Amino acid sequence: MTITQILFGVFAGLACVSAIAVVLVDNVVRMAFWLVMALGAMAGLFLLLHADFLAASQLLIYAGGTVVILIFGVMLTATGPFASLKSSAGQTVPGLSVSGLLIAMLVSTIAAVPWTGLGKAVGRSPASLDQGVMRQGDLAAAMADSDETREAVMAVTDNWQNRVEVGRSTAPLGLALMGLRPDRDLIAGNKPSTLSPGYLLPFEIISIHLLVVLVAAGYLARAKRPRATEEVHIVTAGSSVTPKEHRIDAATSESADG
Amino acid sequence: MPETAETSHLIVRNLLTAAWLLPLAAFIAQVYAVECWSNRLSRASGLLGCAAIGGSLVLSLLAVAFFPSGSGSAHTADDGSNHAAVDAEHEAHPSATPAALAGRYYTLARFGDSRLELGWYVDSLTLVLFVVIGLIASCVHVFSLGYLDDERTEDYRDEHAHAGDEQPVSRAGRFHLFFAYLSLFCFSMFGLVLAGNLLQVFAFWELVGFCSYLLIGFYRERPSAVRAANKAILVNRVGDFGFLIGLAVLWTSVGTLQFATEVDSKGVTASGLFEQVRGDGQLELSDDSKSVVLQRHLEAGDEPAPTRPTIAYTLFVLAGLGIVAGSIGKSAQFPLQTWLPDAMEGPTPVSALVHSATMVAAGVYLVARCYPLLAPEVLLVVAYVGAATLFIGATIALTATELKQVLAFSTISQLGYMMLALGVGGWGAGVFHLSTHAFFKSLLFLSAGSVILACHHEQRLDRLGGLRHRLPWTAAAMLIGTLAVTGVGIPNPWAPGYSLALSGFHSKDMVLASALAFVRLNPLHSLLYLVPLAGAGITAVYMFRLWLKVFVGRPADQHVFEHAKESPPVVLIPLAVLAFFSVFSAVGGESSWLYRGLVTSEPAFVAASSTSSAIWPITHPGHEEIHAAHGAAGLMVWLVAMAGAGIAIWIFGYQPFSADELRATFPRLRQFLLDRWRFDALYDLAVVQPVLRISRQAIAIDRTVIDPLLHGASRLLVQLAGWGRRIDELLVDGAVVGIGAWTWRSGERLRRLQSGQLRQYVLWLGLSVVVLFGVVTWMRPG
Amino acid sequence: MDGVGLEAYLIVGAILFGCGFACLLVKRNAIAILMGVELLLNGANLNFLAFARFTSLGLDGQVIGLFVIVLAAAEAAVALAIALNFYNNHLSIDVDSAKELKD
Repeated sequence: MTITQILFGVFAGLACVSAIAVVLVDNVVRMAFWLVMALGAMAGLFLLLHADFLAASQLLIYAGGTVVILIFGVMLTATGPFASLKSSAGQTVPGLSVSGLLIAMLVSTIAAVPWTGLGKAVGRSPASLDQGVMRQGDLAAAMADSDETREAVMAVTDNWQNRVEVGRSTAPLGLALMGLRPDRDLIAGNKPSTLSPGYLLPFEIISIHLLVVLVAAGYLARAKRPRATEEVHIVTAGSSVTPKEHRIDAATSESADG
Repeated sequence: MPETAETSHLIVRNLLTAAWLLPLAAFIAQVYAVECWSNRLSRASGLLGCAAIGGSLVLSLLAVAFFPSGSGSAHTADDGSNHAAVDAEHEAHPSATPAALAGRYYTLARFGDSRLELGWYVDSLTLVLFVVIGLIASCVHVFSLGYLDDERTEDYRDEHAHAGDEQPVSRAGRFHLFFAYLSLFCFSMFGLVLAGNLLQVFAFWELVGFCSYLLIGFYRERPSAVRAANKAILVNRVGDFGFLIGLAVLWTSVGTLQFATEVDSKGVTASGLFEQVRGDGQLELSDDSKSVVLQRHLEAGDEPAPTRPTIAYTLFVLAGLGIVAGSIGKSAQFPLQTWLPDAMEGPTPVSALVHSATMVAAGVYLVARCYPLLAPEVLLVVAYVGAATLFIGATIALTATELKQVLAFSTISQLGYMMLALGVGGWGAGVFHLSTHAFFKSLLFLSAGSVILACHHEQRLDRLGGLRHRLPWTAAAMLIGTLAVTGVGIPNPWAPGYSLALSGFHSKDMVLASALAFVRLNPLHSLLYLVPLAGAGITAVYMFRLWLKVFVGRPADQHVFEHAKESPPVVLIPLAVLAFFSVFSAVGGESSWLYRGLVTSEPAFVAASSTSSAIWPITHPGHEEIHAAHGAAGLMVWLVAMAGAGIAIWIFGYQPFSADELRATFPRLRQFLLDRWRFDALYDLAVVQPVLRISRQAIAIDRTVIDPLLHGASRLLVQLAGWGRRIDELLVDGAVVGIGAWTWRSGERLRRLQSGQLRQYVLWLGLSVVVLFGVVTWMRPG
Repeated sequence: MDGVGLEAYLIVGAILFGCGFACLLVKRNAIAILMGVELLLNGANLNFLAFARFTSLGLDGQVIGLFVIVLAAAEAAVALAIALNFYNNHLSIDVDSAKELKD
């Protein structure tokens, strides 16, 4: 049993247990706790998948940001009875059974699919992928066919390709968001005219989107409770009519008096 | 002086147009505006009518003054732009130049070279008629102010109309309406006289007929008045039908209905009817005498066409007969004379204006106007029709028992004289008699109206009598009219034109002279002289009988006599005016101003004697022959008239026989005459009864055949519609409603799924994913 | 073999996804449902990364995973705002009371 398998078992088990706990626990605050646990375990799994930057983002944004926001929401709304709303059995049982069915369906599907054909473009077997490290000779033999260019090509492609493969993906990610794809374009045989597309435009769109969401969230969540005060006012007036009707009545009665 | 001539044309045209349109304006005001500023009790409508017709009279007189009289001046306007002077007698008879002015207001339609226009045609005949119509109409208008004064009420009791239970009909007065009708009539009559083409003549011809219909039926509560109005318009239809045929023939064959030759602004000449038919005075027959050669105007330098347009002689005669048929209807000539006596149902002023002086004279006018278009054979027909009419009318008048009936038959008779004169070639005599007759017959009718007014609408001769003591002025006026119509007078053998006699004497002299000249040239047609000669005697008898029965003798009805009183001045003044013209209008006879003026319009070919030999050889007398016959004819007619007057005075003045003895003398003849020669019975038997029988049969066929068919068809349709409705309700509606209801039910069922619970939706979502996946997996092949 | 296969990751992702879905179905608290949504997104995200690791998806999978995280954050912010607004208006956080559109 390799260290990878052990770590995977720990993280995966933690994630699954925490997720199930999120479902089963009724108290919102505890749910938030278990959610943090599940998300942290997910970050570990991300690391195992050689996605170092994403693992960090997961911890920062989810565990550090989103969950905090959620907990704020809990604190703002968990007044008395709302801390732990219990569903009736008539709702819980179908919900859990449908979810179980869904999980069973997904798992059976995953088990049924033969994943062996989904190798990388270079055509290596999943077994060699498991190694986590590319063999440079194979790559060069597959990609470069002239001795003159072999050295130079290998030097660059190895470098960038390996970064993704071995889990140093921060720089390639940053370049991808800038619109550059050295991990693809610097593969020998690719002509400069067929550069791969980066993610500059989606990145910009996401940026604007985030900005808009920020403004919208701020606008939506700002404190205003006019409705409550209005109701109070009507109640104190001791009348069932709305204020507007009330005013009209007053006007007509005045004119009748005059 | 072309400018002067053209200016005078313009002046004449504008004056006459204004005179023509003035009554129309009055009519519109009376009909539409009278409600605004007047009411039934007001005289305003009548005064407006009087003012309008008086204005027309003044304008007509002015037009006479401006009319380019004398020779030579008229046809210089040939080179005027829009006005063309027609001078049928260009070079042949420069001594007497008849001048006519013509032009058009407006072109109604254009068919190739043929045009329908709104035009005007003025010669001395037009002018004389304008003045005569204006004068008589003015007198009648003023007279009507008095005569219809009792109509100015909200509650007029008509003693002659009964509403079922012997109660007089009570209705609102129609004072303003009467004057509106009169104005419309004057407008139509002026338009008829002024018209520049036959179609226009026809339009106004129908319009005067319509006015006559309105006026005859003025007392529309009286069944007799309604019947008379219908009879008048229906009998006139017969003649108008012929007129239309004549128009169609002329339009087809000659290609124009224009009287005058016209030069338009481009210098193109459109030959009128007169020039085409009688270019140089006489009909130009083709070599085989089977057609008349038309004479189109040729431009200078145009080569005459090798084959000139012609019209078949029979067609030409047919056209003439058609026009004459129209005249016979309108002028109440034999055999369509039966409507005129009945037309006396209208108010007496109407009888004076419409049914004696003007409208019935329109037929004579039409014959005179279309004289160049009438073949000699047609003229012969006209002459015989006139002779028959004058004799029939005169004889019936002998026994007529009502005041206005006598005058009506007298009118028929006198119109017969005019037709006779025209027929025998005495163009001038015919229109001369037309003018003088207009004066004295309207005088007679107005006098009769005065009598009727005084006697409270009693007009049976056997209830009147001795009224000269009560109505001296009316008696005098009527005596003048009687003397005028009978032609009694003291002739001056040396200067017949200045005899001590009234207008009728002169004009009738001329008629008889024409007839005598004609008979001398055509001995075969001697009747055409003998009949009018006898008619003159009969005229004297019945007219003096009338006057004597009304004004002399013992009062037959003391009640009527006691209550009779002389009419007011508004009634008497028109009588005086008309009496003046009846006396003096024809002083001078052949050399009188009126006759000489009229003769300037005489068609050129009349002046000289002419012989035609198309079908029958007929020779028409010229001026020379007529003049030569004047003395003899005058003497004979004077003698006959004096004899008739003497007989009348003896029988009805001294009364040697009692009335019953008179009645018993010739009972059958008397009954025949009382039945008006049994024309009405004949027409009833020959036309009215068959028409009624046919219509009854048609009604029966309608009731028994067509109605059931229609009812069956409609019932079938209702059935079909019922079925259609059922199909609609079952299938179409059912489908639509069914779909709607199904949709509604489905919606209601589907609504239950919409719980509004978010989590339930999610549940459905997951469940459906699972189920879908399961289905896909289970159905996966292999 | 010493490595962990693709299937293992996918199964973990499936379990997380199922748990998130179960949260949606079972919880009445709007905040809890938001947490379920986060679980859903994470399960899906794990799949992306697994495929990026074991198939030719490569860096693209990671970029998409990054976007998912970012969008999840944004979604959480807006959804929380909506939930707060809902709470302000209804004085309740129970999603079962949010059925005005039906009535």
